[in-house]
Amino acid sequence: MTRHTDDGDAEEGNGTDGERGDGPAADTDRSTPSPGVPEAGRDEQPPIFVPDDGTAADAGGDLAAGDAPAADRAATAATDGGVESATGGSDSTDLDPDAYDPVDVFPGGDLDLREGADSCYKCTSCDTSCPVAEVDEEFPGPKFQGPEQWRLKRKEDHDIDESITSCSNCMRCDDACPSSVPLSQMHNEARGQFVESQMEKLSREYIRNRILSNYRFFAAIASKVPRLANAATKIPGAMKLGEKVLGIAGDREFPDFATQTFREWWKARGGAQVENPDKRVAYFHGCYSNYNTPEVGKAMVRVYEHFGYEVLVPPQKCSGTPMFANGMLKDARRHAETNVENLVEAIGEGADVIASCTSCSLSLRQEYPELFDIHGIEDVSEHTYEALEYLRINEDLEGELAETELADEQAFAYHAPCHARNQGLSRQAVETFRDVDGVTMEDVGDSCSGISGTYGWKEEKYETSMEIGAEMFDHMEDAEGDVGMTECPTCAMQMEHGTGYEVEHPLQLLEDAVGA
Amino acid sequence: MDQQVDVVVVGGGSTGCGVVRDLARRGLDAVLVEKGNLTHGTTGRMHGLLHSGGRYAVSDQKSARECIEENMVLRDIAGHCVEETGGLFVKRPEDSEEYFQEKLEGCRACDIPVEVIDGEEARRREPYLARDVEKAIALPDAAIDPFRLCVANAADAREHGARVETHAPVTDVLVEDGEVVGVEVEHETGPGERVHREPGATEEIRARHVVNATGAWAGNVGEMAGVDVEVRPSKGVMTVMNTRQVDTVINRCRPKGDADIVVPHETACILGTTDEEVDDPEDYPEEEWEVDLVIETLSELVPALKDARTLRSFWGVRPLYEPPGTGTEDPTDITRDYFLLDHGDRDDLPGMTTIVGGKLTTYRMMAESISDHVCDLLGHEATCDTADAPLPGSENPARMEELMDEFGLRSPVARRSGQRLGSRADDVLSSSDPNPVVCECEGVTRAEVQDAIGEAGSDLNAVRLRTRASMGNCQGGFCSHRIAAELAQEYPEPVVRDAEDELYQERWKGQRHALWGRQLSQAMLNHLLHATTMNRDGDPANLDSEVDFGAFDSGAETESAGSGGGSGGESGTAATDGGRAGDDATTDGGRAGDDATADGGRAGDDATADGGADGDR
Repeated sequence: MTRHTDDGDAEEGNGTDGERGDGPAADTDRSTPSPGVPEAGRDEQPPIFVPDDGTAADAGGDLAAGDAPAADRAATAATDGGVESATGGSDSTDLDPDAYDPVDVFPGGDLDLREGADSCYKCTSCDTSCPVAEVDEEFPGPKFQGPEQWRLKRKEDHDIDESITSCSNCMRCDDACPSSVPLSQMHNEARGQFVESQMEKLSREYIRNRILSNYRFFAAIASKVPRLANAATKIPGAMKLGEKVLGIAGDREFPDFATQTFREWWKARGGAQVENPDKRVAYFHGCYSNYNTPEVGKAMVRVYEHFGYEVLVPPQKCSGTPMFANGMLKDARRHAETNVENLVEAIGEGADVIASCTSCSLSLRQEYPELFDIHGIEDVSEHTYEALEYLRINEDLEGELAETELADEQAFAYHAPCHARNQGLSRQAVETFRDVDGVTMEDVGDSCSGISGTYGWKEEKYETSMEIGAEMFDHMEDAEGDVGMTECPTCAMQMEHGTGYEVEHPLQLLEDAVGA
Repeated sequence: MDQQVDVVVVGGGSTGCGVVRDLARRGLDAVLVEKGNLTHGTTGRMHGLLHSGGRYAVSDQKSARECIEENMVLRDIAGHCVEETGGLFVKRPEDSEEYFQEKLEGCRACDIPVEVIDGEEARRREPYLARDVEKAIALPDAAIDPFRLCVANAADAREHGARVETHAPVTDVLVEDGEVVGVEVEHETGPGERVHREPGATEEIRARHVVNATGAWAGNVGEMAGVDVEVRPSKGVMTVMNTRQVDTVINRCRPKGDADIVVPHETACILGTTDEEVDDPEDYPEEEWEVDLVIETLSELVPALKDARTLRSFWGVRPLYEPPGTGTEDPTDITRDYFLLDHGDRDDLPGMTTIVGGKLTTYRMMAESISDHVCDLLGHEATCDTADAPLPGSENPARMEELMDEFGLRSPVARRSGQRLGSRADDVLSSSDPNPVVCECEGVTRAEVQDAIGEAGSDLNAVRLRTRASMGNCQGGFCSHRIAAELAQEYPEPVVRDAEDELYQERWKGQRHALWGRQLSQAMLNHLLHATTMNRDGDPANLDSEVDFGAFDSGAETESAGSGGGSGGESGTAATDGGRAGDDATTDGGRAGDDATADGGRAGDDATADGGADGDR
């Protein structure tokens, strides 16, 4: 499902400034778009420029500080056609007509979602699995957002129903579908298109969403002065002001910034302590482990080194998860270019890619190849694993843990994030720690936490988010443990917010258990 | 009940609807009678192409000129029925260059605006076109909705005083003193023919003139009058795809042949077609090879068709006619021109005129010429204004944005509603609050369904044609019962049930020719929903005899037997399913036993409750 990166498209994007369709020039430029094929996002420049921290913010933290700007330049070049399509491109009209591939016929990397509309039987399994539809009766559900809306759109229709912004991108519908309709891909496209062509770029909502989805940018600045930033969010009324001015849910507690980021720690530590060309992993720590919970990243490094792995920490940017969820596909693409380039390099050195955040790993695995055509993006997808999953596949974790016991007995209330569920990982924490003496791991059920990354941070979505989370809160309180556990940083925020529990990542428990 | 009018028009296809509109607007007292619902015959079974004339530009330039002229007229007067898609005649490497040039010159000679584009440009406009398409002629073909068109014509006729009578087959043509003086119709009842007159009643409609506009059926009506009309009906298949692979009409640029056109139509694409002469327009084989042929051949133009989902196939019968003695062998060579047969001149039987041949694109022109002829005969002086007067719904474009806001519709639903309803959108959509979506695949709301019921009565296939409800990928599986439920307030329960069955059957009919791949899965899911969840294959309410409540177990006493396993399971399950499930229980073994426990209790409760009321019956 790789898409071609087209040369001409970047040009178009430059000129249109997001207001495509008004002027005749824009019309002809866009020409008659592919039939009913969503056209947002890919390979275009962002409609407004948000300074990226590739140079400034990364300079301090990156192991290879000097590489970041270079990577940026290379990535920029890619949008101009410098990077070849991983599948070999498509503009060749002299290809064998029998070797027909719908992806190839669309210049500009547009997605062909016809297959998704053809595959839907209307069975509504997706709607019944949608946590938003369950609590929000105004929300028409994933079937409408995906195959139905796609099919009802006509060639010249570009309007996407506004309700797409109520989808939280939990992606449960993907799993629910018995017919492999690429629902989240269709939603991501529709959302990207909505934001691109229908959302007022100066609206509070747009700006707020841009800020939320570019969390990394702001986190990078805040972590320059973590104490000040932390204090600022605790000034009485600060969050209320955030709600008034930006529409960010005022009832939430802003996460603390670490006084030392993961990457700073990594550098100070002198990088990898284990060298092993046969067992290498490239750690995709994501933004949250870097700026807010470096203890998770440290646990990852220690556990993997305990098992004899050489850990690489390549330069990286946001995985794109919050950007997809807010329809900021162009931002996501820019970040993806850096990520893919650096991860491909690591893969070339024999590493597999490991993420400690299940949304990051899902993004690299599923959304990247579904939405972008960047050289090597399929390789990244195929080589990416979640941290615990990888150890369970490659190491005798069971044997290792059979003999361990936790010094202080502890019961945990474990919540499986939706994005972990989509990777088939919803039971891994329970299974892994089942036989560890002193650990009680209780699964609090299959409900969604309701925060879905940036979703629950939006003032207008806050109540929906808490309503979705109510079942999980109840189950957590019913569970024996009073410490929460989950792989997802924003689920952790929600768990903490709803119950007041402290929440840990399975890697932290694993670190304790194996004495890494 | 007998009535004397100026003109009776027989046949509710595009020609008949056009004629009755024209006559009514000229001030004549006209009645339209149709044996099914409007478009029941050939009009409802065409691919929806509004010809630019390009198709006939080489073989039949007179038709081509008429087409381009009427094409432009219909864009004006029937805007809400037309989608201006544009069309392409594409040339593959094996197609003749000479013919391409002939086509081009032909179009120019007929004043059809054309543009020659290269393969690359053609693929830019239609990315799904095959890579080896060399070049194409772009011209103003378009897509037209024949249902909406006929309904709008009939509605306008009615507004001008005409009477439109559906489900009223002509049973006799009245001939007195060597002259046609009217027709006898039967008002049918039973499944599908729910006119709300006295069922089975016949009516004589006496008229100063009878217009036989029954197309492929013209011979049958002629026979009733004792005249010979040699129609040569020719069948053709059309296959409906689930999505639009192309947004432009794609024609193969070669002299003639089967399977050479793809027409984008609403949410779907329609592939056509074949051309096989048949004996009887009512009864001809629908053959698999025809479907395979159109998909395979058209895949040469649009390769994606090979793997795309098909929804259904249907066949139409062309009302081809040629004057006696012409003797053309191949039906594709028979002219597409129309013929006006005045039976006074031709057969010495005044009082009736038959119109045969022709095509939907020129329906208005045909109607005008036959109306001229009728007015002449009746000595009625009036001018035709049908080329300028917009049809109801096309007075002005619908205001899409306002529809969304005003009626709280999701944007694709608002857009679709607006496209279908045209200038009527406001009136229709404001009539129902709340206004839920009834058919999700096509985005049809309750208001639109109710509006159609208001016009068409309890015939849900007529409602379907007006609204497109149940014409999407579920083919009625998820909506036929919802649509039927919309009848429930006004019509008695048996009517509603029959209407639902009839709609569902009609949807099934076409799907039989698409039972592979994804539509097969859809059909299976539909079947399970309707047969098991809704129990429509064994619904006690549909039984002829009364339900034998004594066959249900008696509840509490047998419940222990139910939990006992196999044997109890059979009796428990059998009771609720009316006996048939006994077999299932045997094959299902242990599982049926479990079910029986759950069912046994429930059936028991029912039995107790009913037992009290019904005594020992």
